Amino acid sequence: MRQFSRYRDRRIFRAASLAVLIVAISLMTGGVLFAQTHHEAPAKAMQPADELASKSMGSKSAPITMEVFSDFECPSCRMLYEQTLRPLMGDYVANGKVYLVHHDFPLPMHKYSYEAARWADAAARIGHYAEIEQALFDNQATWSADGNMQKYVEGALSPTDYKRVAKLMEGCGLSAAGVKPASASGQAAHGCSLDAAIEKDVALGKAIPVEATPTFRFTYKGKPYGPTAGFVSWQVLKQFFDQLLTQ
Amino acid sequence: MAGRIVLGAIFLVAAYAKLRPQPGMGWSVGAIKTSLLMFAMQVDSYQLLSSSAASFVAKTLPFFELLLGLWLISGLFARASTLLTTLLLAGFFSVMVRTYAMGLEINCGCFGPGEHLGAKTLIRDGSLLALSIAITVLAFLRSRMVARSIPEPEVALQSR
Repeated sequence: MRQFSRYRDRRIFRAASLAVLIVAISLMTGGVLFAQTHHEAPAKAMQPADELASKSMGSKSAPITMEVFSDFECPSCRMLYEQTLRPLMGDYVANGKVYLVHHDFPLPMHKYSYEAARWADAAARIGHYAEIEQALFDNQATWSADGNMQKYVEGALSPTDYKRVAKLMEGCGLSAAGVKPASASGQAAHGCSLDAAIEKDVALGKAIPVEATPTFRFTYKGKPYGPTAGFVSWQVLKQFFDQLLTQ
Repeated sequence: MAGRIVLGAIFLVAAYAKLRPQPGMGWSVGAIKTSLLMFAMQVDSYQLLSSSAASFVAKTLPFFELLLGLWLISGLFARASTLLTTLLLAGFFSVMVRTYAMGLEINCGCFGPGEHLGAKTLIRDGSLLALSIAITVLAFLRSRMVARSIPEPEVALQSR
């Protein structure tokens, strides 16, 4: 009986050893692969912001292009903007490593996201996209409840610029009182000159296909990476960029 | 045995999907690292682990899946391998259910990039877990039956 018990103990010991060995090999392989030091690619000098009149940020000649499909009313998009895209813009975009392109992908489930995209696009046309993007994401919790985002747009721009943006919003369902758009159905309005660009972004997203927001994809040396959906932290994204830049 | 081999093959495919280079890239250490960092983004999107932990899991899990797949197919210590597989799949499934319940719209990451986490992926992974549980139970039952059929060593010695 004792011999049988020893025999069984030996088998359990061998099985456990094999399991431990497999775990150890997995850890070692991952560790060895990533143990090599990363050599940062030399940062290119930041070019003049030639894309001020669009929704892109950084130098067009940056080695990496990151395209983000987002919805101004989506909480994960706000999280991505505040925790990841802001540090990205301050670092890799500012240093000419990444060219960041924003694409609108307002989801039908969000009542005011289409209108928010219009405001942002109108601001982009006069070169103030970044300010409106920040104002909309920073105050998302408030305006997504009542749809009144106009005051945040107004607060983020100078009176002159706001007038220019408001003029571009003409025909987009803005009421005579100028407080709240008549149409907040999340649909393109007939006669709104801004909707063509939004619809173009949506069509591009559907072709990828984008199934949720935020979704992003990358291009490095002409090769596409992704798409991938959901929030990603700056630390993880930075590791990915560093890896691309060492290739 | 067939179920164990099927499960092993699925793990090999899952590991390959995570390790394979992105389209247009050849196999190289750099290409594998890039693929693993793409996978790290998917692990991170579950919002369950810290950034460093998500990175660590992404860098080791595909190799673990690869070795586990080979172990399952080899048939060595079947009880241990199937039990480990069941525990791993139960972990995956519970994380996926949690994410789905939270309403997070992310990629599954189960078989490489681009697969949206939804009802279909939950049904598929739930089925895999059910298969794994069945195989584990069978492996334990089989080993018990084999143990009963072998005469105990002391009795066998006495009978000589």
